[in-house]
Amino acid sequence: MTLQIEQYLHTERLPHIWCPGCGLGIVTGAFLRVLVDLGLERENTVVVSGIGCSSRAANYLDVGTVHSIHGRALAVATGVKMARPNFKVVVFTGDGDAAAIGGNHLIHACRRNIDITCILFNNQTYGMTGGQTAPTMNVGDRSTTARHGQIERPFDLCRLTQAAGASFVARGVAANIREMEKLIKRGMQHVGFSFVEAVVPCPTEFGRRNGMSNPINMLEDARARAVSVAKAAKMSPEELQGKIVTGVLHEDESAPEFQQVYAAAAALQAEATEAQSQVDDLVKAPAGDKG
Amino acid sequence: MIQGNRACALGALDAGVSFFAGYPITPSSEIMEAMAEELPKSGGVFLQMEDEIASICACIGASLAGDLAMTATSGPGFSLMQEGLGYAIMIETPLLIVNVMRVGPSTGRPTAPSQGDVMQARWGTHGDHPAIVLAASNVADMYRLTMAAVRFAQRFRTPVILLADQMVGQMRESFSPELVGRYRLTSGDFDFTPGYIHPDLAREVHRPHVLGQGEHPHVTGLYHDFTGFPNNDPDQSSEFLRELYNKVAHHRDELCLYDVKNEGKGRVCIVAYGSCARTARAAWRLAEQEGLPVEVLHLYTLFPLPVEIIQTVARRVEFMLIPELNLGQYAHEVRKMAEQWTTVIGMGKIDGTLFTPREILDRIGELIGKYESV
Repeated sequence: MTLQIEQYLHTERLPHIWCPGCGLGIVTGAFLRVLVDLGLERENTVVVSGIGCSSRAANYLDVGTVHSIHGRALAVATGVKMARPNFKVVVFTGDGDAAAIGGNHLIHACRRNIDITCILFNNQTYGMTGGQTAPTMNVGDRSTTARHGQIERPFDLCRLTQAAGASFVARGVAANIREMEKLIKRGMQHVGFSFVEAVVPCPTEFGRRNGMSNPINMLEDARARAVSVAKAAKMSPEELQGKIVTGVLHEDESAPEFQQVYAAAAALQAEATEAQSQVDDLVKAPAGDKG
Repeated sequence: MIQGNRACALGALDAGVSFFAGYPITPSSEIMEAMAEELPKSGGVFLQMEDEIASICACIGASLAGDLAMTATSGPGFSLMQEGLGYAIMIETPLLIVNVMRVGPSTGRPTAPSQGDVMQARWGTHGDHPAIVLAASNVADMYRLTMAAVRFAQRFRTPVILLADQMVGQMRESFSPELVGRYRLTSGDFDFTPGYIHPDLAREVHRPHVLGQGEHPHVTGLYHDFTGFPNNDPDQSSEFLRELYNKVAHHRDELCLYDVKNEGKGRVCIVAYGSCARTARAAWRLAEQEGLPVEVLHLYTLFPLPVEIIQTVARRVEFMLIPELNLGQYAHEVRKMAEQWTTVIGMGKIDGTLFTPREILDRIGELIGKYESV
């Protein structure tokens, strides 16, 4: 039985806490349409989130939802997935949550290539705490902790996760929501660790301080800067300055998925133990029984 | 002959632990090594995570899905686990955390025993919260208290901390798990169905949120109500958090495990736990030979505070002497409970060595002598 979109949503908990013009709801909507599309069972689908604006989405989704602690969503999700391999486990996280405080868990989840989909909402700021500098903020961007402009260089999270071993890496922008939806769907269909970066506008905390308090302008700016992977391949590094490369950036179907490897290794370990105990019995048995 | 850390792993397996996530740290790593060997082949999950934070979080995830989960660490790793510990308490998730204490602070001396994490076990995570903390004094304890801890965790739906120290964790003693009947400390109704709540606890332990099992609950570390969803109403928040606290506080009788030697015959009572309890028992035997009137109160449960037994003993002895491998962390607790009836004296050691029975006995001699000379 296919569920309607409302059945994946705690409609009684709406309206949500996000500011007007925020991109989180747009991408959460895309995720909900993917749930409907894939026909996932609510009992066997778990969304784990951390702390921050994007992680609050877990409050509204009517699947199994774990609103965990700051930065640790991927570690909690790893426990859930290993305990219940049949679950579809998705992590909702933000750029501060996953790339700063939770950076270690992000690279190790990629390295394990465990079958979890990580949807990272990149709004380039800490929205919930009032617009502080995020590790994804570009040099020169202003925040409440960089009033005169950010001086550190930002992470390119897609390159980071690919290098760390994620077997599916994609990026989309909230402004091109149909593409975003397709990328989330492909990520969730992929077997192995899939990382999907969603570039979302935060007009309240980021835009206001960076000359873009109008949400429509922010969406149009992102749309204007978005270039497809195919188009980007033909562009020079200079031309790519300030652009957002979108689409599937990396996909490796042959990479061994962690749970499959774990199950195989555990079976071998059990066989080896059984063989050893047979040898032990043989050694212990009285001489006449050895034949 | 079996090592304390190995006995802990065997106790966990016998109690039904099916998930372990950890990170190497001396002097607890042997627990993780044993679990790495045993769990995968029996259908369980063993994960070596990227740090102790990830370890406790993976355990929480597994526990939410209905697995019995545990981790093991030592002081520095235990510090890293504190935020996760508070989250597990808040979302009422059963969990076992073993802390094989080494002398600290900081890196300290990883290969020497201490009892320096007693108050960290009680108050390490932020906010007002309940705590169940047990302390193992020998290899058999490592087995049976691990089992008891798993059962308490499941029954009260909260993390349980088992404290051991480098000496107890890494020494070898003759012990056989087949003798479990002799060592069993807990009794009663233990049901391991995920999410099961004992009828006695139905009021205070909230309906569990188990992922799967036909449910799709919401779990959050925000102030929430019994539905699992955030709730900022002061009255409901207060009620929820007080119930969280009281589910442990109101069941002290069941949770407080202890043993009294030479009951009612001492002028001095040595109150001890962990490796110091071994020394205390040896000191008592020596005291018998030398004609000194000594009782020993050996505590297996440090928190919730064993108020009743401490106060019962305090009413009948002149001194309570508390030898600890720290600077009086638990002596302060005992003093709060007992000082209106008796004189509470702490003796501390933080040099990475153990007390000798003679040191304890000499202190008792001094106390009694001082008393008689008054």
